[in-house]
Amino acid sequence: MPGMDDIGFLPSFPLAGANMILVGAILLCGLAVGQIFVRVFKLPRITGFVAAGLALGPGALGLLDQTMLGELSVFVDISLGLILFELGRRLDVRWFTHDRWLLASSVAECLLSFLFVYATLRFFEISPVHSATAAAIAMATSPAVLIMIVHDQHAKGPLTERLLTLTALNNVFAFLLIALLFGFVHLEYRANWLLAVSHPFYLIAGSTGLGFVAFLAARTFGRWLGKREDRQFVMLLGLIVATVGCAISFKLSVLLALLAFGVFAKNLDRDHDLMTVEFGPGGQFFLVMLFVITGAGLRPSELAVAGTIGVAFVLARLAGKLAGLALFAPLSGIAQKKALLMGIGMVPMSAIAVVMVQGAAALYPEFGAKLSSIVLSAVVVLELVGPLATQWALRRAGEAQAASGVGA
Amino acid sequence: MTLEFTRSAPFTMGVELELMILSTHDWNLIRGAEDLLALIEKEKHAGDIKPEITESMIEISTGVNTDYLTMLGELNSIRDTVVSNARRLNLAIAGGGTHPFQHWSEQRIFPKERFFHLHEMYGYLAKQFTVFGQHIHVGVSSGDDAISLLHMMSRYIPHFIALSASSPFSQGMDTAFDSSRLNNINAFPLSGTMPFVADWREFNDYFDTMRDLKVIESMKDFYWDIRPKPEFGTIEIRVCDTPLTIGKAAALAAYAQALARHLMIDRPSAPSLDVYRVYSFNRFTACRYGLEAGFIDATTRSQRTLKADIADTLLRLAPHAQVLGSTAALDEIRRWNESAENDASWLRAELKTGQTLNDVVRRQSGLWVGTGAEKATDKITGQPAPQ
Repeated sequence: MPGMDDIGFLPSFPLAGANMILVGAILLCGLAVGQIFVRVFKLPRITGFVAAGLALGPGALGLLDQTMLGELSVFVDISLGLILFELGRRLDVRWFTHDRWLLASSVAECLLSFLFVYATLRFFEISPVHSATAAAIAMATSPAVLIMIVHDQHAKGPLTERLLTLTALNNVFAFLLIALLFGFVHLEYRANWLLAVSHPFYLIAGSTGLGFVAFLAARTFGRWLGKREDRQFVMLLGLIVATVGCAISFKLSVLLALLAFGVFAKNLDRDHDLMTVEFGPGGQFFLVMLFVITGAGLRPSELAVAGTIGVAFVLARLAGKLAGLALFAPLSGIAQKKALLMGIGMVPMSAIAVVMVQGAAALYPEFGAKLSSIVLSAVVVLELVGPLATQWALRRAGEAQAASGVGA
Repeated sequence: MTLEFTRSAPFTMGVELELMILSTHDWNLIRGAEDLLALIEKEKHAGDIKPEITESMIEISTGVNTDYLTMLGELNSIRDTVVSNARRLNLAIAGGGTHPFQHWSEQRIFPKERFFHLHEMYGYLAKQFTVFGQHIHVGVSSGDDAISLLHMMSRYIPHFIALSASSPFSQGMDTAFDSSRLNNINAFPLSGTMPFVADWREFNDYFDTMRDLKVIESMKDFYWDIRPKPEFGTIEIRVCDTPLTIGKAAALAAYAQALARHLMIDRPSAPSLDVYRVYSFNRFTACRYGLEAGFIDATTRSQRTLKADIADTLLRLAPHAQVLGSTAALDEIRRWNESAENDASWLRAELKTGQTLNDVVRRQSGLWVGTGAEKATDKITGQPAPQ
């Protein structure tokens, strides 16, 4: 039919550029809702991004369905890679020798938030393994929310530094604990000791090793490129994306690998070949995508189902963090008020830990489903309230630029 | 008389140093003064440690000293207190007259009545005042002595500027000045020099007039290069940039002390208005070219290099340094002068080796700490550290 060939220049379905349109639309939609939240409700724009995702996602309007979210997950992974690398670079191991109580306060806030949440969940008669895994997830503060708020507020100061370091640490501890708990999950479902030991070992050693290899590559490449921000920016971005890809391919942990990459870059780069690179406006693209897609993954319906447990979970977690930090604050020479502000700054819960648990869910769907119903309600609350808490804490501590405004 | 001049032992000295508080993440300035001071307050320490106008600054000061080595010891001890407490907060400390790449608009006024008042009065100048200087006090026995020593000392102000200069970079750029810091101070309405008054009585008349006219409230409102400090019984030299090391700060104080003794005892020249005719020009060239500057001698009506003038002065100071026990300090100053290398040259050399300004600040901070980390010779550049 010659007629059909004649109109071949016209668009046909499915649209060839549909995915691009989708990405652009998500970005613009997130941006718009973020601005509305800032201007109308005086809330952090992150809350707006998450709300936009929530509205578009399967939980509400359903414009973004599960397949689309799957296709967009590459943006989530790259964003998380950037964030974890940056967070890792904030973890200065020398600090632990200068303030011996820093590590102690980190262990205390992790331990107490774990114990409080564990006890709370056991009170609701949830099984020990589920309670423990959920409590381990509760230990971690969201690196994405914290770093985004720190950027947005131009926060700088001792409390911000401490908050970033403690967050890096509680993510590491949460990860290690979850990896170990995987062993118990294996045992609970198939009593095989070899599997119970080798899976955590593979995750921890493999991910750390991958981070180390990435660091070696960065250092060699960086030395050759020289100290030019534009070159090093592209180099680091390239390595981060590749490392994320490797972690996914080898079924390792994106979280631990990228965090390790950052920590090695901060602490082992003795000749200072690597520059401190700000990911700036380019990085913003990934962050907006991250939060909108995270929002789309939330299920508001979960909130209604697990209402009481969700609220108890959130409160127990907060109490653990506040108690742990307040306990050791005087020994680090930190005022109690600042310790409490730090506890509040740690309210956002890490969605990354949830992603990890989904790894377990893939192995044992029954376990995953049970756990999700416990944790996801808390995630809904904390994704929306968390950014506000962190922003408030940083402003209250006097370390946010926005708070000082023109007058100060 | 309205201003009582406290008598103090002649040729005693004291030093104040303004220091930068840095983030160890990106080596920019960071608001840490409040937390750092809270930590320091809890322990016993030498000297005095106070806040300054913005939250990324801290000021340390010694007590009254007669001996150079004792003063060096006291400065070292204060430095160690500040550095060890800063480390507990993961902050770093450094010398240097300006932070190379901070943006003045990001600085925040330290929450204290006087600083808020200054900010209200001077606007953006107050935040641009995030520069770091060394003030040297020299004791005198009367107000009249203070006035005459101050006038005689004015001739030598370029020496102090060129020897201490450590602020070649400002707001991320090379300013072409060795001391760009003093340009920030020039903007204040009461900066410059004290008027040419003959004695303490005349000074009081001037002070009373200015106060009655509501130009000033107290001595603190004068931002002069050298000013009398009646409550301490000293004159205060305020033109030095904070050097990159404690040793240099102590040596500069010893230089001022020996110079004061020379001027008061030998009286090489009487106070003269001629000095003030060429003052601004000499001051400018010293800021701009450091130890490579020219120098106009108003009393002999001749021109020479600043290096030659410092070298001559050092010869005249030698016997006084011997009496005061500061020969070692003056020897050090001679070496800087002969090499024509000041801290500004060191900072520029660091940047030239392909390092970034962030790296320069990191190494600057290593120098200040004085430990093995960045000591003596740099393995990449082979640049010797100052001193």
